[in-house]
Formats: sequence, C-alpha cells, structure tokens
Amino acid sequence: MSELIIETKNLTKKFGATRVVNHVDMQVKKGEIYGFLGPNGAGKTTTIRMLLGLARPSKGSIHMFGKDIRKEKLAILRKVGSLVEYPSYYGHLTARENLEAVRVLLDVPKSRIDEVLSIVRLTKDAKRPVKGFSLGMKQRLGIATALLGNPELLILDEPTNGLDPSGILEMRELIKSMPKEHGITIVVSSHLLSEIDQMATQVGIITKGRIIFQDSIHKLREQASSSIKLTVNDVEAAWKTLLSNGFTTDLVQNNIYIDNGTDDHVAAIVKSLVEHDFSIYRVEEQKKSLEEIFLELTGKEGGLL
Amino acid sequence: MIRVMLSEFIKIKRKLILFLIILGPLGVIGLQAANFGLRYDWLTSQYKEDLWRGLIGEVTMLSVPTILIGLTILTSMIANIEHQTNAWKQLVALPVSKMKIFAGKALLSFILLFVSCLLLFFGTIILGLSLRFGTAIPLFYLLKMCFFPFLAAMPFLALQTWLAISMKNQAIPLTTGILGTIVSLYGTGFPDWMPLKWPWLVNEWDEPVYSVLFGVATGLVLYLLSLIDFSRRDVK
Repeated sequence: MSELIIETKNLTKKFGATRVVNHVDMQVKKGEIYGFLGPNGAGKTTTIRMLLGLARPSKGSIHMFGKDIRKEKLAILRKVGSLVEYPSYYGHLTARENLEAVRVLLDVPKSRIDEVLSIVRLTKDAKRPVKGFSLGMKQRLGIATALLGNPELLILDEPTNGLDPSGILEMRELIKSMPKEHGITIVVSSHLLSEIDQMATQVGIITKGRIIFQDSIHKLREQASSSIKLTVNDVEAAWKTLLSNGFTTDLVQNNIYIDNGTDDHVAAIVKSLVEHDFSIYRVEEQKKSLEEIFLELTGKEGGLL
Repeated sequence: MIRVMLSEFIKIKRKLILFLIILGPLGVIGLQAANFGLRYDWLTSQYKEDLWRGLIGEVTMLSVPTILIGLTILTSMIANIEHQTNAWKQLVALPVSKMKIFAGKALLSFILLFVSCLLLFFGTIILGLSLRFGTAIPLFYLLKMCFFPFLAAMPFLALQTWLAISMKNQAIPLTTGILGTIVSLYGTGFPDWMPLKWPWLVNEWDEPVYSVLFGVATGLVLYLLSLIDFSRRDVK
C-alpha cells in the first residue's frame, strides 16, 4: 500500500438542507493522477474547495500528507498548487508580475518564475499584460502559478474547460508529464470521461454528492462486461439448436449474444454450431465503452456501491 | 506580513489607485486655491487674526468629505482587483492565513490614505506660502487637522473594507459610501455618538482628541469583527 496523499472521511458539505457533498471517502495515493469524474453539479468543485481550505466541511475530516487540515492548513497548502475552475489572474499585470505577486507570498527564489514560465511555455509572452492572453494562455499561466511553490500535490479543477482541441491536447500532455518529471501527485477533475480516460491512473466517480466508484482506471475498464456476438446464417434455428444442446444465449436483432462467456464456453458453442452445419460469419467481442459504464453508474443515482 | 504587503503593492501597479491618492489632496488644495484666489480680500479680512488657521479651517471643510468618498472608492478598487477574475480562490489557497490577507487589504487602504493626508499637509503649506500668509506656520495644528479627521474616520474605513471585500457587487459598498459622505456634510449638527460627526472633530467637550479616540476605538472593533467574519466565510 503506497502512501496516501489525500484521505477524506465522511466529508460532507451542506448548503441549507441539501447535501452537496455527502459522506465522501476520497483516497489519493502518491504519484498517481487521480481523475475526479462526475456530471456538472455533482459536488466535484465543492469537494476540491474543501481540500484547498476555501470552504469548511459541514462534517467529516480531511487529511493531506497525513496532516489534519483543521490544524495544519497552512503547512498543507504550502505543498499544494491549485487551479480552480476559471483561471484567476490580475489582468492589468504582465504574466511575470502576476507570478511575482504570488512568489513574494510563497517566498521562493526569483529564478523559479523563469522555470515555471518555461514549463508552460509562456517565456516569450511574459512581458505582456495578461488581459490580452487567450484562454489557453491564461489557463497555462494558472498552471504556472500553481507550480510556483514546487508543490507535491497539484489540484486542477476542470483544467481543460473552454479550451480548443489543441489547447486540450497541450494541457493533457502537460498534466501527464508532471508525475514523471517532477514526482507530483495530481488530482484533476472533469465532467468528460474521455479526458480522464486519457490521463488518469486512478478514478473517483462522484454523482449527487456521493462517490460511487473509486479504483484504478483498469478496474473501471474491467467493469465493462464484455459479450460475444455471433453472426450466423439461420439465426433462429441456430439459437434453438443451442438451447436444445444446453447453451442459453440471447437472440437480439438477428445476432446471438453470449454474456460473460469463458473462452471454453464460447469454443463449445462455436463447435456445436459447426457440428450442426451452421455457417458462422463472425465471432466478435462486444465491449461496453467507458462512456456507457459512466452513464450506467451515474444514471443509477449512486445505488451501486 | 511584509510579504503580504509586497504582494499588495505589486498588484496595484498600473491601476488608477495611485493617481487617486494624488488626486484627492490635489483637488482639495486646487479648490482652495481657487477659493482664496477669487475672494482673496474678503477671506483675508475674515481671517485677519490668523490667516493660517483660516486657511487650514477651509481646507478641512473640503478634506472631510474627500476622505470619506476617497476611502470608499479606494477600498472598492482594492477589493475589485481580486473580484474581477475571482482571484480570491487563488489567494486564499496559498499558504497565507485569511486573517493576513484581510489585514493586508485594510492596511493597504490605510497606508495609501495616510499618504494622501501627508500630501494634503504639504499641499496646504505650499498653498499658504504662495498666498503670502507668512512663515509662522502653526505646524502642529496643521498636522492635527490633516490627520485627525482621517483617524476619526476609521470606522468607515473598516466598514467599507469589509463591504467591498465581502460583496462581489461593488454597487452596494459604493452606494453606502457615497450616501455616508453626503450625510456627513451635515455631520456637525448630529449628536456626539454619531460616527459621521467624528471626522469633523466637533464634540461637546471641545476636544478634537475625543473624536479621534472614539473613531479609532470603534474602527478597531469593526475591523476585528470583519476580520473574524472574513476568516470564517467560505470563498466562492
């Protein structure tokens, strides 16, 4: 078991009577890219706000780096870099001045500004006022600001929101390179499964304030129960023959489906069909896409776990 | 705290805030220059016993509302730097306590207004000298009349800082501040417990220091209350 960077227990946030975040037990291990996934309004941002000390939990505890956030908030925040939703910046200042305003607060050496500017490739634009930046550049400046204090944990809330495809690609490459090159643990939230699928190693799915899935991305893919689709010449007769031979299969739209069949099971069915002189055109594996799993999980309103 | 202030001063670069700090005292002195220029004979006969005191009195008449409207605009502009792109969330997520963040904003307003009062002090001297009122300047009295109204206005600085920071919509703090300024024009007629009377330094004991003491004490209480409120509040 590797070291836990973030551990929340029964984390709850109430706005009035509604529980926006409801008994969330989040666990993020060191060196992972934790994809925090959920539809809009599921409680992702509220959870992240609580992790950053921007909002107080109504109930439950948050431990980061093994420290309690209620007791050692500043010590924790020193090791955390963050970018929450839309980038925050001071438009009238240049990129460099923006970083300088944060640098003096963090008390890191001036040379760090050049380092982070080159990481996000803004060195050339460092002397321009930020209000003239494109959204992608502002977002990159946000990442640079987050990296300024040499964080061990980077919390990014919807970092690809509003970016064009090339901006998204750039952001994704940047995020993926962090754990490798700088040994940083990352929590990245998104409402797009494809985003998380392409960068995360761990996934937490939240909907209506509850975590309904939390494990490695491989485990999530395994949930994609596969089935074998058979295309044969006389479907109805084939299905009946199989049934009389003791094989239960599904007949859907002129195809025969075998659910969760082991390799031997599938082989036996194929063999039986061949012996009864059916022509087998295709034997295909049908896998549910992650998108379908996600919809299935979130659609059932957290009744899964 | 020094680091917080450094950061605050970086953030007001290229903003009109610094211009405003000069504009306030410049406006007051400019208007009094026009006032004395146009009715020089009448005013000098009015104040013939003590020309300097006369001038300082006239300056104070304008400086009190200027301080009030000035601090309203100033606190709003300072808070708006963070409101514009909701930089609060970035600022509060840094390893700096929320108390220090709030204190930094309040201290910045205080320092800038202090500089304004200092400029008013020198401006009045220059105006008096150019009006040929002689060199027997009542420096201590002038110092008092430049800084006492500002110190007595501390409750408003605390209130406006709190309003400007806790509300994203700056129309509310600006309206309160402007209304306060207008009402304060009639401040001398109010009972002594009215904070809007304090910057005029008038009270039944005829001791300006009392107004200052009330102002500073009430200001501190309000400041501490808003400090606590800000540190408990969730950041949007």
